[in-house]
Amino acid sequence: MATADVLKDTGYIQNDTELTGPFAAALAKGNLIVQKCNDCAALIMYPKYRCPACFSGSLGWEQVSGAGQLQTFTILRYGPPSTFDVEAPYGIGIVKLDEGPQLMCRLHPGPDGTWDHYVCNQRVSFAPADAAEIAERAAAWFTAA
Amino acid sequence: MSEIWTPPYPEPGSANDAAFIGIGEIPSGVYRERGFMAQIVEASARAIKDAQLSHTDIDQIVLIPCLHGIPDQADLIFSRVAEELGLHGKVKSSVMVHSGGSTSDNATRMAAGLIASGQARNVLVVYSERWGSADLQDMIDMLSVNGIPREWEAPTGLQFNAIGGLITQRYMHQSGSSAEEMAAICVALRDWANLNPNAMYYAKKLTIEKIVNSKMISDPIHAFECPFLADGAGAFVMTSATEAAKKQDAWVRIGGSGGCVSHYAAGQDADLGVLGWVEAAKEAYEAASWGPEDADLGEVYDSYAAVLAIALEGLQISSKGEAAREFHKGRFSPGGEFPLNTNGGLLSAGHTGVGGGTALLIEGIRQLLHRGDDRQVPNARRCIVGGTGGSYMDAQIMMLERATR
Repeated sequence: MATADVLKDTGYIQNDTELTGPFAAALAKGNLIVQKCNDCAALIMYPKYRCPACFSGSLGWEQVSGAGQLQTFTILRYGPPSTFDVEAPYGIGIVKLDEGPQLMCRLHPGPDGTWDHYVCNQRVSFAPADAAEIAERAAAWFTAA
Repeated sequence: MSEIWTPPYPEPGSANDAAFIGIGEIPSGVYRERGFMAQIVEASARAIKDAQLSHTDIDQIVLIPCLHGIPDQADLIFSRVAEELGLHGKVKSSVMVHSGGSTSDNATRMAAGLIASGQARNVLVVYSERWGSADLQDMIDMLSVNGIPREWEAPTGLQFNAIGGLITQRYMHQSGSSAEEMAAICVALRDWANLNPNAMYYAKKLTIEKIVNSKMISDPIHAFECPFLADGAGAFVMTSATEAAKKQDAWVRIGGSGGCVSHYAAGQDADLGVLGWVEAAKEAYEAASWGPEDADLGEVYDSYAAVLAIALEGLQISSKGEAAREFHKGRFSPGGEFPLNTNGGLLSAGHTGVGGGTALLIEGIRQLLHRGDDRQVPNARRCIVGGTGGSYMDAQIMMLERATR
């Protein structure tokens, strides 16, 4: 590719806002999307600048079912980061979606206000937080299925 | 890797066979009166003396980074250590190597490479950390942005004890280990620390009961299962085997090494209960032509009990799922069958940041040089050293061997 072509070339993802923006916008509407490679159809989380499988730079988005398996979880009771304006305790988990990709998420407490009912490998489903919460902290929330 | 590549390791005893010849260390703990640079100079001076060298024999400095603050980090980057040691105008270069908790392994590889390729003669590797004196909330905040993707995982409120909780939960689920068996890991490390005058908890006992009755910090991790942040410093000197043989009766060589970067983001590891140890061990054992059954001891990164248990199983020092139960039965305690983390590890000698892994490496060298005093493993000849950095992003293994003239 000649230098002039490179300078004209904007057909690539130039910053993280192009990745976090669409993801957070979908969450705010109650949808969970993951990145999808337009060339090899790989589903990708967290979203990347190039497809980790085929290295294509042509990447889009795909809505997923929100069903998955809870790989592991924890309830942080002391010492949240001071930049994270939420009072402890809160639940954090890693979910492997049925479609394949994996992501760090927040866990809803049960009706009793605790996270005692969660166990590793259990079925969970995406249960979005409200738009105000997503505007503050763009995380996917899950609950026991 | 798609094909097996057998690296041409240096011939033992040759001019390009790297040799550890000296170590230096000052006590770990909370020492507010001790300055960052003062710690570096003291640890360096002790290592140079232990190596039977003069400070002006050092021609290359390799620095382990600190994490407590940018100004001190900048002093490392911009050769302040060379000047403070009186080595400006004498050393070829002063350079920092950084991969978090596995830095010690990577700094060693780099120093060995410089020696093997004739680029350096006597390399000083040194760390200094002031985590114990730093503001705790500042350190929690720092440990919530370093090694955690700020766009994708920070919005969940993740921090390092939570990563420890996620890994421990997964490990306990897979292995069926009880809270008491997990606590036994911390107790064994404390029993070793009680033999190490440089350990943060040299003088304090710990029991399973005390651990399981302490408050839950990030389930299933209790307060006494979290690493205690410490100030500390340590150093070692490396040269070639031919140089070592001129002055030393014994030195330590690298029989082989292996490594695997399994993830960056904790949420992306294929299995947090396994990590990269299996892959790394395959490579390390093939390179060294010996394995866990031939080792006299191990020094393996242990910032949380489960992180150590997972490493021991990947290293095949323990069988799958049994590491915590083996700790509970005393296998890794003083007097047990397999001496492990004989300085007390990060969990009881003190977590000196990136230096915690370096302290374990220094302890492995100390044991193989037979300078272990009350905790010396009799006739120690082979030691497996394991390191891991960030959110346990990698598994790095050094196969250390005692060599004699």
